[in-house]
Amino acid sequence: MSVLTKQAPGAAATLAAPGDAKPRRGPSRRTNQPSGYLFLLPWFVGMLFTIIPFFASLYLAFTDYNLFTEPNFVGLANFQAMFEDPRLLQSLKVTFIYTFVSVPISLAAALLIALVLNRGLQGLSIYRSVYYLPSLLGGSVAIVMLWRYIFGNDGIVNGFLGFFGIQGPAWVTDPEFALSTLIVLNVWTFGSPMVIFLAGLRQVPAMYYEAASIDGASKWRQFRSITLPLISPIIFFNLIMQLIGSFQTFTQGYVMSGGTGGPADSTLFYNLYLYQKGFTEFEMGYASAMAWLLLMIIAIFTAINFIASKFWVFYDN
Amino acid sequence: MKTTVKFQPRRRAILGAAITAAGLALSGCGASATPAGGGGNVELNFVFWGDANRAKMTEAALRIFEEKNPGITVKTEYQDSGPYADKLATRFAGGNPPDVLNMANRSLLEYAQRGTLADLKSMPELNLDEVPESVLSRGTVDGKLYGLATGVTTIGIVVNKTITDQAGVAIPDDKTWSWEDYAKFATEVTQKTGGKVYGAGYDVATETGPIMLARQRGEDFYTEDNKLGVSEETIRDWFQYSVDLRKAGGYPPAGFFEQIGGSPAQSYLAKGTVASQIIPINNFKGYNDAVEGEVVLLRIPGETSAERRGYSADPSMLWSIAAKSKHPKEAAKLLNFLVNDSDGAAETLTQRGVPINPEVAQSITPKLSTDDKTFVDMMAAIQEDDLPPAYVYPKGASVVADTLKQLATEVEFGRISPADAAKTFLEKSNAAITK
Repeated sequence: MSVLTKQAPGAAATLAAPGDAKPRRGPSRRTNQPSGYLFLLPWFVGMLFTIIPFFASLYLAFTDYNLFTEPNFVGLANFQAMFEDPRLLQSLKVTFIYTFVSVPISLAAALLIALVLNRGLQGLSIYRSVYYLPSLLGGSVAIVMLWRYIFGNDGIVNGFLGFFGIQGPAWVTDPEFALSTLIVLNVWTFGSPMVIFLAGLRQVPAMYYEAASIDGASKWRQFRSITLPLISPIIFFNLIMQLIGSFQTFTQGYVMSGGTGGPADSTLFYNLYLYQKGFTEFEMGYASAMAWLLLMIIAIFTAINFIASKFWVFYDN
Repeated sequence: MKTTVKFQPRRRAILGAAITAAGLALSGCGASATPAGGGGNVELNFVFWGDANRAKMTEAALRIFEEKNPGITVKTEYQDSGPYADKLATRFAGGNPPDVLNMANRSLLEYAQRGTLADLKSMPELNLDEVPESVLSRGTVDGKLYGLATGVTTIGIVVNKTITDQAGVAIPDDKTWSWEDYAKFATEVTQKTGGKVYGAGYDVATETGPIMLARQRGEDFYTEDNKLGVSEETIRDWFQYSVDLRKAGGYPPAGFFEQIGGSPAQSYLAKGTVASQIIPINNFKGYNDAVEGEVVLLRIPGETSAERRGYSADPSMLWSIAAKSKHPKEAAKLLNFLVNDSDGAAETLTQRGVPINPEVAQSITPKLSTDDKTFVDMMAAIQEDDLPPAYVYPKGASVVADTLKQLATEVEFGRISPADAAKTFLEKSNAAITK
């Protein structure tokens, strides 16, 4: 969460950068401060509910807390136990496959649709809403339940395949396929990165394209040499946000498998396993340690992305 | 709310902030204002799992309790069993447990050994004179009574007789049938219905099946000293049985069952795609109501063909009282009512199994529907035989249940052999229990 909140203002600034010449500085900055803080007050109050559990979980990660009795300090025992926990490895595997397959596909889909919509269609706002809608719904329990039926043995997908004489697999109950249905669900929710891409594409000055077409550059060439570099900060922002969100997936796996992570642990997301450890096996100390491991994993991936971004992200200012 | 009014004449910015702050304060208030009882009145918090129908019956009984015990009101909450278990854990952890609660067999030791439950034997308001020792033993841990059965039940096989009659398949005598007889019967149903209906559709992944098989073979799935007692062979055979039955056609193909559990109306028996299922027999009425056609209740196979009886009269679930309950006396009174009061039982009937007080069970018999009577009669008939003892589930039993479910899926899709699955099951289960 902290990574998320820190990242947001910076990204907003880069979004605005191509349009504005320079950020304004003046006397108004100081005089507005008190009301600014007042506006932030609810956030500060809310932050207390985040910060207290945050440090509590850091402490509990080094204890054997079981929800019922007083926690005892056990040092690094929880972290050591993780190395010998096959289900933890399984949950990491599930989460990594899910992330590294669905994030690139959903980003590509989001960019593609954004490019199409950016061509100045009539009724743009309607299309935008239609494509954005799934990302509002995708994490909801009802949609995941619906997904179960769509991919069920008698569902639409297998009905469609049956039309061509193909006997579809048991998408939901077969361990080989269960995760793929959730990946499809995640890709389907490309709406929120799409809206951000769309905003970014609108900021690319039209004069660049005019100049390029006078020089005889093809559409593909224009996309590669103008669009991609100029929206690279937005791709970067979307990538980070999608990665973080994807590592923290919980609802989809929980609802799809009825909380078990099944069939045969094939949808055992990291956070789902964490939840099981904490609330069904009552090993809250271990669960807290897992939460901190996830934070470290996310931090490492974000750091790698930031370092790598120097080589491909172009800031036009 | 007052703060909002005071801040109103000021600038709009402040107004916005104040409304938000007040909103937060309000939502905070709402959560903490619940225990307000009022003048000498004791309010008990009573939680259980189940569906709306069970809740309705329970509420009706509680109104009688409140009439008989002026000064005590009972506030109930109920959920499905899964979310119920999660919420219960959080409430205990937060130091705000309910007074009287439903406890699952497999969770009893987890809670009891951590000192979160009250010893029911130490409560004079609770009269246990009529309760048989075999029932008390299922809630006793280290000599203390932490859970009291809500009623007793066991498992049985329900068969859709309308389907088997149409197919011309005779249902074998369930008093003497073996597991082979059941397999033969199931395979014949599939064949004679042209594959439209599968003869057997029991759930391989629920522990009650292998528990029964182990007992028939002279093993205790869970032993008296709270260990795992089932042999690798029994688990292997349990898995192998479904693999063979599937190959023969009597059991549906891998991936067929998408919704295991759930209500009778959602069951595959009600859909008419399977002809038989294993159920907790107190649900018999629900299945007969949900299924078009006639449903008959049979015993589990193998009862006379194996080493000993597999059956036991099991608590369908348990009642417990939190050790931290602020009103232990009133809580015990409520529990006493649930166990010993015939007027209350007349409302709940056999919803949570046959009442554990024989007098109460007797008193509700005339009020039972035909299907519920079938269940009660079968329960009584089973208990006429000499049944081997059964024990409290050990700590880690919920991990054992999850492990079985996981391995059953691996076996179903042929990702692991029954023999390897059995080996893994014992390793993982033992690790969870001895931890």
